[in-house]
Amino acid sequence: MKLSPDERWNLIDSIADQVVTYGKYRHTLKDAIGELTVKPMTGIPIAIAVLYGFWSVFGSFAGTLCTDGFFVKLFDGYWLPWLQVVFPGEGSWLYSILIDAGGMTNGEFILSDNCFEAFGVLTSGLFVAIGVVLPAIVIFYLMLTLLEDIGYMPRLAVLIDTVLHRIGLHGYAIVPTILSLGCNVPAVTATRILETRKQRFIMMTLLAIFIPCGAQLGIMEEVIPDLIGYVLLYLVIGYFIFGFILNKIVPGRSPEILIDVPPYQKPMMANVRRKLWMRVSSFFKVAVPFVLLGCVVVNVLYLAGFIQWLGDILAPVFVGWFGVPKETAGPLVAAFLRKDLAVAQLSVIEMTQYQMLSAVVLVSIYFPCVATFAMMLKEGWKELIGSVAVLAVVVFLYGGIIHLIGKLIGVA
Amino acid sequence: MAEKNNFAMICIAILGLVTVAFGLADILVSAVGDGTGLSILEIPGDMFRGGWGGFIVLFAGLFYLSGCKNVAEVHNASKVAMGSVLIWIMAGTDIFAMITESIPGGEDGPWFNSLSGFLGTYAPPYAPAIFLLPFSLVVVYYILKQERTK
Repeated sequence: MKLSPDERWNLIDSIADQVVTYGKYRHTLKDAIGELTVKPMTGIPIAIAVLYGFWSVFGSFAGTLCTDGFFVKLFDGYWLPWLQVVFPGEGSWLYSILIDAGGMTNGEFILSDNCFEAFGVLTSGLFVAIGVVLPAIVIFYLMLTLLEDIGYMPRLAVLIDTVLHRIGLHGYAIVPTILSLGCNVPAVTATRILETRKQRFIMMTLLAIFIPCGAQLGIMEEVIPDLIGYVLLYLVIGYFIFGFILNKIVPGRSPEILIDVPPYQKPMMANVRRKLWMRVSSFFKVAVPFVLLGCVVVNVLYLAGFIQWLGDILAPVFVGWFGVPKETAGPLVAAFLRKDLAVAQLSVIEMTQYQMLSAVVLVSIYFPCVATFAMMLKEGWKELIGSVAVLAVVVFLYGGIIHLIGKLIGVA
Repeated sequence: MAEKNNFAMICIAILGLVTVAFGLADILVSAVGDGTGLSILEIPGDMFRGGWGGFIVLFAGLFYLSGCKNVAEVHNASKVAMGSVLIWIMAGTDIFAMITESIPGGEDGPWFNSLSGFLGTYAPPYAPAIFLLPFSLVVVYYILKQERTK
């Protein structure tokens, strides 16, 4: 049936009469609150409060309740001692890889007293994956999902749009940035919401270098709770400085965006449950194998003397340029497999507070973990090579600058 | 009606002033570095709860003060409601932290806390935001009631 333009308009009018209700628009309290969250003067304090709530709940649930409250006791008090007794061949290669790498004192093999030091696949590997990372990831994604479903995330995107334009991105870059605080892997995929190659390259590079994942945050909360604020401060500063530089040197466009901001609404629990399950399960499929594999590889490299050799070779760079002990070479190798594992390893190396701070920042900005690396490769090998080149320069420069700052303020 | 609004304005202004005072106290105490307690009131001295948290309490007070003048007007009401939301974030996280501390039995103790240990965690002193919480609830109740009657 072919309709003339008049008939078509008549049809539109009759449908509209049936489905549209006309009334006087009244500015409601919900609308006014929505406006407050996007205006910089009021929106920034609110965003700071939301971040505070996010971080506080994260620390209380993952750190105080789950890890310190139950998992440390379970793994250090029962699981580790039980495995140390029942597993045969104390001091052998297999024992060191699976249960406890321990230490030698006067030619005698000494067992570790906790899962951070044991470094076996079945002890430290499982403790990190289940006892530290699982609660951190669950609470992180739960809060992120709630914020998304309430309708706060698009408002945060509008609020931060101007700032992110300074580094060649736009407001929606907040999505991969915050996702990355959970896991870098889905965040790399989320960079596809950015329009141009330039924006995607900048975002991918910045998140691979400067954004610690939830697992790493969980471990940092556990082993360096007093320093975590400073570590994050260094990373945030680096994110903006190097973002600004990349925006200047990477060719391409950084277009504006139009965001449809939905009204605030009550989250639907079924949606929250589904999203949480999807994110946590996919994280675990990717993360757990790498944590366990990381333990095996690092232990084998230690036992084969490779880490010692690498530490000796890189000692001038580590000690002279970065100002950290040469023993941090081991964790840096482990960081390629899992950064959370590397931070756990750093916690048992003897060093000053500032050296620990520098070492954790180095682990964070050093090569992305292998899962992220694989994801970046999927997005394009040219981008990956570019990101790695930027990363090498950033690690060298930023590591040196942090050491220099420590020297200037007299703590390094 | 005007009398009622004037009364509401005075109450919210007082709440705003008290909140600003608590926020400033939080920031100052955390800048000095040592937490301080006055009987049932505890001003946290760490940079996280005292510094960052104090900044949020301070802004909650400023939201109250900037919206108190004509709270019947929707934009002012939204500022006052937002001040209350900031207080809820602070008090809510403090209460959540207490809950998470009260459940486990401690490093060398049993798996779960004893009843006395559990209840003891909820004993005073409390942070300022917890004292402000009931007042912030009353304010929001008043605003929502007004919104419904429009």
